[in-house]
Amino acid sequence: MDTLHRGLKQANLKRSPGLWAGFAIPGTVWLIALFVIPFYAVACIAFGTIDPIFRDAVPQWNPLAWNFAQAQEIFTSLITGPLRGVAVRTVIYVVCALSLCFLFGFPIAYFLARHAGKRKLLLLVLIIVPFWVNYLMRMLAWVNLLSVDGLFTRFMRNFGVNYNWLDGSPITVILGLVYGYIPFLILPLYATLERLDWRLVDAARDLGANSRQAFRMVTLPLSKAGMVAAGILIALPMFGDYYTNDLLSRSPSTEMIGNQIDFFLNASTEPQKGALLVLALSMFLLLFMSFYLRSTRQQSRQVTR
Amino acid sequence: MTNQPFRPMGRRDFLRNLAITSGAITIGGSLIAACGGQSTTTVDGLAIGTPDNPIKLPTSIEPIKDGLANETGTLEILNWADYQNPESIAIFEKQFGCKVATSIYDTEEAAIAKLRNGTFKPDLILGMTDTGLAKLIAADLLQPLNKSYIPNFKNVITGLQSPYYDLDSQYTVPYFVYANGIGYRTDRIDKNAFAKNGYDTLWDAQFSGKLGVLDSYRDTLAMAMFRAGNFDANTTDAAIIKKAGDDLVAMREATNPKVDILAYQELSSGNRDINFTWSGDLFTALQYLPEGVSPEVLGFWYPEKTVAKNDFMCIAKGAKAPVLAHQLINFLTDTDNALLNREYVGYQPALESITVDLLISTGTIPESLIDALVTPEKYDAGLAQVSLEPTTDALWLEQWTRFTAG
Repeated sequence: MDTLHRGLKQANLKRSPGLWAGFAIPGTVWLIALFVIPFYAVACIAFGTIDPIFRDAVPQWNPLAWNFAQAQEIFTSLITGPLRGVAVRTVIYVVCALSLCFLFGFPIAYFLARHAGKRKLLLLVLIIVPFWVNYLMRMLAWVNLLSVDGLFTRFMRNFGVNYNWLDGSPITVILGLVYGYIPFLILPLYATLERLDWRLVDAARDLGANSRQAFRMVTLPLSKAGMVAAGILIALPMFGDYYTNDLLSRSPSTEMIGNQIDFFLNASTEPQKGALLVLALSMFLLLFMSFYLRSTRQQSRQVTR
Repeated sequence: MTNQPFRPMGRRDFLRNLAITSGAITIGGSLIAACGGQSTTTVDGLAIGTPDNPIKLPTSIEPIKDGLANETGTLEILNWADYQNPESIAIFEKQFGCKVATSIYDTEEAAIAKLRNGTFKPDLILGMTDTGLAKLIAADLLQPLNKSYIPNFKNVITGLQSPYYDLDSQYTVPYFVYANGIGYRTDRIDKNAFAKNGYDTLWDAQFSGKLGVLDSYRDTLAMAMFRAGNFDANTTDAAIIKKAGDDLVAMREATNPKVDILAYQELSSGNRDINFTWSGDLFTALQYLPEGVSPEVLGFWYPEKTVAKNDFMCIAKGAKAPVLAHQLINFLTDTDNALLNREYVGYQPALESITVDLLISTGTIPESLIDALVTPEKYDAGLAQVSLEPTTDALWLEQWTRFTAG
């Protein structure tokens, strides 16, 4: 039978050598049209010039003529200048928000996958439904709830918490990020945990592991790929997020890198600096992506073995 | 209603960095000829009209002829969101038997880019400022007005009937006026505090977390300069610009200010005690007061020396309904119609006939906000902001980044 299969496979490949490669065409076109070309355009704006009259960005399409003077200025600013504080703050906010997302999101995903039973679908829907409402609408609702006379603020006063949530507090921005992105962490995590072979956990228990050890040595390693994927899925947009801060704080003391990009692109006369910040952020995010790719490659190697 | 017309930079600052242009533009030759000896400041190939050196703009085409019939069909308007009263527009539609369709822009820069590439093809453009006009003229996007269709032009504030950015109002008719100052809650801050401390009030740590400034680098940096006694809102002096940046950083550390254009909401809701903002925001704020809260809680400190500005209406070149566009300009410069329009927009029409007494006596504005009104005298005494050359602009932006980057 094996010989027969091998023969058929070889015959198919010989008959249509371009068929399988052809399947890559849509994806390749997609990538070129929606990633490579736009990214190149961003670079052309970043290293281009400004129209002296209209003050629009004038892209320099020829890489040989790119001007790197502004790039040097922006990178210096990011490392030692005014933008350093923003860059560091952005990383801190995202790390905090990501940690809180895992802290709250993992138990929820775990519960849904392992213990929800027949109510699984209902609970999933209950988690997802609020997020059908537009992100901006949800944040604007929180602005009302958190205002000085807002419902939430008044409710918390009953417990002795008299906090001005909207006075430019980092806590509010971080909680806003958590609230905005947590469902996008829960869903992929749930998908991973749901497919997990729980018999392995049972086996660990049979072999003497207590529940904590079984979780640490079996569940956690097996869900690592899902955690990395979910973490990256929400970390990437968080790094570029500016509207959460815009809506919940608007204070310079909570400014994130996305706010600076927004300012340079939309409200300054130096749009190329905004494009340069986009490039800088992309380079930084590539580190995350490479970590993810390495992690998935290791996973697939382990499976192959 | 929101206050979209006053989005950060879009209206005031971003395009303020552009100039009434001459040398570098295609119509440069005709502009210089048209200037007819009027002096202009030239920076980096850009000719800038200023109050000291006003400019007469070139005309590449003739205005429409006198006595044409109104077009039928649709009049296309390009305007900021919520910057016209739908009720006023409905009356105009009924009166002239036409439809009015409005497209929205949220920054002048984006609007002009879309006008240049043909995405927007309006008949009438509302709410642009002088620096937007520089771009519009440079791109040859406007047509000169025929004032025989605008008899109400006589109602316009006298000092604005031939403004420095468009001598003889060839292309523009003023729409609203406003000035920079400090809005505050009268139930939390004593009016006399400003007489004593002036701008320093914005640096007072007791308002930490309850204070806001405009998200507008030209306005807010200029305010810091005024505080320090430097009254050139277009300074090129690096030391003065740096000092303004230092002072704003000090303000940030003392008061953790909000940087946005939401004073009209935040003062009304009580989330803020004090906000450096545009005078018109206080009138808009009246509509945001929670039920049962007296309008008297809103106050405005109008500094002796501050920036005073206006925006305007103009007609696009190639407009399909130029007569109707003229008619709407005339309609909106009628006193009663302008008052009705103001009821919705909040800002103050640039009409001589809409006096402080009229606004107070009609009850549309509480006496507590009398200081927020821009009288013709105040407007004349106001400081102007004009375009900056790129290297100076970069200095301003550098200091703004120091402030906003926290």
